[in-house]
Amino acid sequence: MIGDIAFGQFIPGKSPLHRMDPRVKIVLIFLFIVFLFVAQNFVALALPVLAALAAIFLSGVPLRQYLKSVKAVIFIVLFTSVLNLFYGGGQTLLKLGFMEIKSGGVSNAIFIAVRILTLILLSAVLTFTTSPNSLTDAIERLMKPLKVFHVKVHEIAMIMTIALRFVPTLLEETDKIMSAQKARGADLESGGLVQRAKALLPILIPLFVSSFRRAYDLAMAMECRCYHGGEGRTKMKVLHAGKGDAAACAVSCLLCAAVIVCNILLPGSLT
Amino acid sequence: MSEFISAQDVSFAYDPEEGQAPRNVLEGVSMRIRRGEFVALLGHNGCGKSTMAKLFNAMLLPTGGKVFVDGMDTVDEAVLYEIRRRVGLVLQNPDNQLVASVVEEDVAFGPENLGVPPEEIRRRVDEALKAVEMYDFRLNAPYKLSGGQKQRVAIAGIIAMQPDCIVLDEPTAMLDPRGRSEVLRTIHRLNREQGITIVLITHYMDEAVQADRVIVMDDGNVLTEGTPREVFSQVELLKKHQLDVPQATELTYRLRGMGFPMPCTLNEEECVEALAAYLPPVQAG
Ligand SMILES: Nc1ncnc2c1ncn2[C@@H]1O[C@H](COP(=O)(O)OP(=O)(O)OP(=O)(O)O)[C@@H](O)[C@H]1O
Ligand SMILES: [Mg+2]
Repeated sequence: MIGDIAFGQFIPGKSPLHRMDPRVKIVLIFLFIVFLFVAQNFVALALPVLAALAAIFLSGVPLRQYLKSVKAVIFIVLFTSVLNLFYGGGQTLLKLGFMEIKSGGVSNAIFIAVRILTLILLSAVLTFTTSPNSLTDAIERLMKPLKVFHVKVHEIAMIMTIALRFVPTLLEETDKIMSAQKARGADLESGGLVQRAKALLPILIPLFVSSFRRAYDLAMAMECRCYHGGEGRTKMKVLHAGKGDAAACAVSCLLCAAVIVCNILLPGSLT
Repeated sequence: MSEFISAQDVSFAYDPEEGQAPRNVLEGVSMRIRRGEFVALLGHNGCGKSTMAKLFNAMLLPTGGKVFVDGMDTVDEAVLYEIRRRVGLVLQNPDNQLVASVVEEDVAFGPENLGVPPEEIRRRVDEALKAVEMYDFRLNAPYKLSGGQKQRVAIAGIIAMQPDCIVLDEPTAMLDPRGRSEVLRTIHRLNREQGITIVLITHYMDEAVQADRVIVMDDGNVLTEGTPREVFSQVELLKKHQLDVPQATELTYRLRGMGFPMPCTLNEEECVEALAAYLPPVQAG
């Protein structure tokens, strides 16, 4: 069933990371991602990498899940690393015609590869351990200060919630429409790009029409249940950060401070 | 029983399409729904049942006449959300009524909109899910539920707002027989045990037979109303307006037409009893 793919992201569990306040989790992961880019030498880079490894260990999610998410982007990682091989100074290691690979290039390539891989792993930790609902909920609360600038925070979160809710429904519907069109002799698999794109039209149009119908129905159902925007609205689930969250914050801040110290004390590795 | 919803000489026209004159969908309908009763609303396609349902909870406002809910006029904006809280509307397609991707969060949607405090919402959500026997599914994703289960979750979402009345617009039209009986059992129990007033719009006569009172609409008017027996004994009138009667009623009606003096029966048991009177007793042994 295609519906399962879209929701294969969140892996339910009871690990310390699953129990963490999603707001804290988002902020800390974001912090580490920033510091991945702040780090200028291998020692400094090692700190957020260590944090990522610790998070992976604490998440209790099987390693093969992480490997899967790395596999999905391995091409991009290789591509950027290979490009970086040809930059940077230092000793010449290899000469390929007019291009040469220098020692600086090798270290650059490794540095960048580690950076991207860690970035992927950190975001995987977030999506694996946080349900889509807590994620939107946390984003809504984190963005609340933006209300001052007239950002429609509640509306954005509502849109995300509804989108998440309807992804499987619409996938299922696409499946049905495709079968229906195939049963009428539609050929979706052969032909060139243009032909295939044309063949998609009889699928997209009914899907569009039915989506509008659904949107109309849903809006009415929401109004029937007294929906009138974010004003005066409460939430069943209250988020509260506990001792574990405080500890995680403290450790993370220390690590980030260490990254800055390493940056100052040691020479940069990127050339 | 005191009167809960009262529609007085209500007429209604949808906004006409460009260049067309507005057409009255309802023309001077009066009906009363009493507190605690179970009413079935019948009528052929396009006779204005859904329109009536939306007038009951102020989703639509009458273009003529008045609708009162517990004494409150539905055109009064100040009580709009109070009316919608008291009269919950459940629609036909369960897929398009669920907002959240977790069952319990969907049920919490109504109370959240009403600004109920978090602990109280939790309590109401658990209670509502137990009332429709979906408590064990509270952490499931709605798209993984059967049609009948989805519709029960939609009902729980209304119950969590603590309504006095639930209006259901063909809640079983998209369900299989099993889902249909689940939903019907649930609403009958809510009516009996919690005293919630039920208005059930349906095309299934066997559902209508189980109501306390039946109202039949025809092209924007009330055709007839009364207990199921009173209404379904008027077979000619219903047929003239392209309405069905329960199968048992139809059978005894036809037999009556063939000269067998039969009572009007509403369900299989009554029908069997009436037929048995004409059969020779079975010889034992
Ligand atoms: N949004 C709308 N705009 C314009 N006309 C409408 C709208 N909704 C319904 N109508 C018209 O109003 C009339 C009554 O519709 P309504 O939906 O109330 O009938 P119904 O009794 O619920 O029918 P059904 O049994 O098919 O559900 C119909 O003739 C319909 O075409
Ligand atoms: Mg209708």
